[in-house]
Amino acid sequence: MKRLRIIFAAGMLFVAGVFGAAQAAELVVWHAYRGAEKTAFEKVAKLYETENASKGIKVTTLAIPYDAYADKISASVPRGKGPDVFIYAQDRLGGWIESGKTVEPIDFYIDDATRNQFLPNMLDAMTYKGTVYGLPLNYKSITLIYNKALVKTPPKTSTELVKLAKSLTNTASGRYGLAYWYTNFYFHAALMNAFGGRVFDKNGKLVLDSPETVASIKQMMKWYKQDGILPTEPSETLVSSMFNEGKAAMIFNGPWFIGEISPSVNYGLAVLPVIDEAGKKPMRPWLTIEGAYVSASSKQKELAYDFAKFLTSEEAGLILALEGRQLHTNAAIYKDKRVAGDPVLNAFHNQLSSAEAMPNLAEMTMMWSPATTAMNKIVKGNATPEAALKEASNAIQESINALRKGH
Amino acid sequence: MSIAAHLKRSAVLGLGISMLVTLVLGTWLFSTEESNFRVQQRQRFAVMHANALALAVANTSIEETGKRVSDIQKLDPRIESAIIVAGVQLVASTRTEDAAPRQLRREEKPLFDLSNEIRTARETNRGEQVVRKKTIKIEEQTPGHIVVTVPYLADGQFAGILQMKFNTAGPDVENPAAESPTAVKSREPDSYLLPSVFFLAALLVGSLLTLHKERKFDLSKLVALAVFLAIALSYQQQRLARFERTMTRADQAIAADYLAAAEQYDRLGYLAMPRDKSAVNLWDTDHYQRPLGLIAADGSILSEHQTAYFAQRSGFLKRLLAAIDLLGAAILLMFIYGYAARAFAALKEHADAYTYVAPAMIGMLVLVFFPFAYGITLSFTDTTLFNESLPFQDRLTGWANFKAILGDFNLYEHTAEGIIWNYQNFYWTLLVTIAWTISNVTIGVSVGFLLAMALNTEGLRGKAIYRVLLILPWAIPTYITALIWRGMFHPQFGVINQVLQMFGMHPVAWFDGVFSSFLTGVATNGWLSFPFMMVVILGALQSIPRDMYEAAEVEGASRWQRLRFITLPLLRPTLIPAIVLSVVWTFNMFNIIFLVSNGEPGGANEILITKAYKIAFENYQYAYAAAYSTVIFIILLVYGAFQTRITRATESF
Repeated sequence: MKRLRIIFAAGMLFVAGVFGAAQAAELVVWHAYRGAEKTAFEKVAKLYETENASKGIKVTTLAIPYDAYADKISASVPRGKGPDVFIYAQDRLGGWIESGKTVEPIDFYIDDATRNQFLPNMLDAMTYKGTVYGLPLNYKSITLIYNKALVKTPPKTSTELVKLAKSLTNTASGRYGLAYWYTNFYFHAALMNAFGGRVFDKNGKLVLDSPETVASIKQMMKWYKQDGILPTEPSETLVSSMFNEGKAAMIFNGPWFIGEISPSVNYGLAVLPVIDEAGKKPMRPWLTIEGAYVSASSKQKELAYDFAKFLTSEEAGLILALEGRQLHTNAAIYKDKRVAGDPVLNAFHNQLSSAEAMPNLAEMTMMWSPATTAMNKIVKGNATPEAALKEASNAIQESINALRKGH
Repeated sequence: MSIAAHLKRSAVLGLGISMLVTLVLGTWLFSTEESNFRVQQRQRFAVMHANALALAVANTSIEETGKRVSDIQKLDPRIESAIIVAGVQLVASTRTEDAAPRQLRREEKPLFDLSNEIRTARETNRGEQVVRKKTIKIEEQTPGHIVVTVPYLADGQFAGILQMKFNTAGPDVENPAAESPTAVKSREPDSYLLPSVFFLAALLVGSLLTLHKERKFDLSKLVALAVFLAIALSYQQQRLARFERTMTRADQAIAADYLAAAEQYDRLGYLAMPRDKSAVNLWDTDHYQRPLGLIAADGSILSEHQTAYFAQRSGFLKRLLAAIDLLGAAILLMFIYGYAARAFAALKEHADAYTYVAPAMIGMLVLVFFPFAYGITLSFTDTTLFNESLPFQDRLTGWANFKAILGDFNLYEHTAEGIIWNYQNFYWTLLVTIAWTISNVTIGVSVGFLLAMALNTEGLRGKAIYRVLLILPWAIPTYITALIWRGMFHPQFGVINQVLQMFGMHPVAWFDGVFSSFLTGVATNGWLSFPFMMVVILGALQSIPRDMYEAAEVEGASRWQRLRFITLPLLRPTLIPAIVLSVVWTFNMFNIIFLVSNGEPGGANEILITKAYKIAFENYQYAYAAAYSTVIFIILLVYGAFQTRITRATESF
């Protein structure tokens, strides 16, 4: 009996010890980074720990494989499990908010100083129907990448672009002045935005078949058919292999491509040209912006927000930008000599002055497949831009109606 | 024990157990439904008062708002407190500890978020012109303690939220007359008494019945069934009638409460709507702030709306009751026809065997049957990304998804340019899937057969090397093979078009045409599937005794005759299971379609399984995709049953 009591007491002590240790708050953070990005991110997490050593906060970062990441969030967080903070691009945000209990609104926490520290457009991506749900961390967009051996000065306008590209195109030997994945709507969006086209208007109404979008597609078709400066059947691999073989003088591509450029190509980066046909408006590519979200199931939301805020600070931004090679959202870091002197970071930062956040509506996923079909039909001459976009709009609208059902 | 006695026992047991199941399930259903209804009535009452106050303070000054809120709160003891929040400001509060107006505190973030949520819900409903988001939020953490949040409007614009706390735990809302707890208790016993009486009656009838196992049309079996149904139905009818009485009483109680409150509002001069019969009652609304229309603005009950509402409510119950009765009848039939006794005997006799398979069965249950049952249940709802958080009952739609899938015959349309096929239609996809399956299996079997015959040649040198080389396509991950083939079909840079051009032919845009795109998939899958068939056939070929060929040769059989009468018949037992398997695999061959042609052009080459994936994860129509998968399952089930019969027939050649 006595022995039992001793064992019991020891057990209680153990339990107390465990709980006592748990008094020091532990923040669990999920991300999908690998390589340098991961190392830099973990360094920032450590930095947060040392700065808050007095509070005894422990930050546990967990890298989740990218393909499983979003589904893991959707499955665990609404059921009260998962991380305190997670990082993801804005494309899933709308879906998570609509299905509920996943992302915590942080409007209440966010102060003006934090609001103002970001580059333009960044907070838009994290705002859904007027409420802020995350802090933007880094952004990606496409820009003009050119082969310095072929292009001396990058074109500033579409007229210059066509003139230069024509002189560099030789269809017989498979050489093209310009290459980009123009049938992919993500890449086309830069041109569409230049003409003022939209996928959804500000009320969430689908306006894909607007005259502006039609005009932008006609412009693309002019480059492809009339000017003949674009290769047929573009794809990600095609564009990259052409650029690496020196067969494409200029391409539109994003920061993810920089690591794939072959060492033999001496490349330069420049802002996407102004479109003369669209009233001298610049091409405005879509921004994919990664945000740090506070999980709706977190037990320590305020602390989680504080960590997210730290990730967007200048101090963390410098590490993430210089070591993780990320395009951080904190405006102050671009004044730093090391960042401003970095041609890649600087070039994408320049592109930001004409760019806009990709819509974060849940309905966006329904757009891709019909839009791709429409683009393919148009490029192959099977349908006019008007008819193809009309058809795509009808298909998307049908899917949207199935989702937005009344009660 | 004589057979007659045994059968009497099975009649008692059968009637007893089926009755027990039916009565327990029925009682459970009614008690859940009644308690749900009570909760809903409580909430309806709370919503009514919250709406009333929100209307009363909609267009008043800040001071007046504060005054009205506290006046109203004092009127009714069931209103514990009321607060109004606009942005980060607490505008008014009846709680003594609050000095309203003041800033929200840090820990009051949920109020701020709730306000944003309701604002967004209103804007979404307006912008999309569809009412799909609740603009009234209700929380009831302990029964009777209700927190209702409604929009707070100022000058017709959304300004914030009005939150009221109610305590309705004490007096009964639905029936103010019967307030004492004893009155409520006195109604309780019959919910247990009645089923027990029925149950005993069933046992009694069962002990009097003598069933005959041999006679198929034994009258007493019919009697047993009739007794079961009579008891079950009379009990259910009686409960249904009681439920309707409860609903009527509840409406009367709400109407009385409404009248009392409206009079008090009128007296204070806070009433913001006319109190005549034709006016819409803006207080009594659903959670989307649409008037329910059950009680008119003068407090009279609108009977035709009420009847329709009752009919809808009991209609749902009746369908569930029918399902319960069917289940009970099935159990009864199992007993009186002796299936239950046999199953039990088998279980007892082979107890060891069942113990050994139990772990595997549990594993199957969790990993296979549960997801399977979940998927089928899901297919009877209208679940999408946007409404998945709603309660199950609100999402239930019955056969609608299946009707939409199978009843859509919009397969093609005639235009001036000829027939245009609708590639999104289910039957088109089914047709493609069947064509895809047949062509792939044919290619796999014939190529596999030819190669196996070649490898089976006697004295062939380097047989091992050939065999390894031919199995290689199977060994490489499909993902890689599929992407390589996709690259080879590239119109400009793909190797296939390069070769075509080398011979002076025109390059083909493979993924543009319905047929050429179909070919890309078939080529890839053919490449992947022949090694399996080859290995299977080669194994079977090697097991055919050599002397049979020798004997045939002696008899003067030609090569063709040897193939036709020896090789093929002896291959059949191996080949048929391989083909059955391969049909099922190919039917659901997701990877190749998804990675090579991705259903191009325009979804024309989608097969059923890739289509279901896209419906679920691109269009977020989870329930529709579940119904699609269920249809795929049924097709394969029918195919499987059909194939098993053929296989059985071939076994006895």
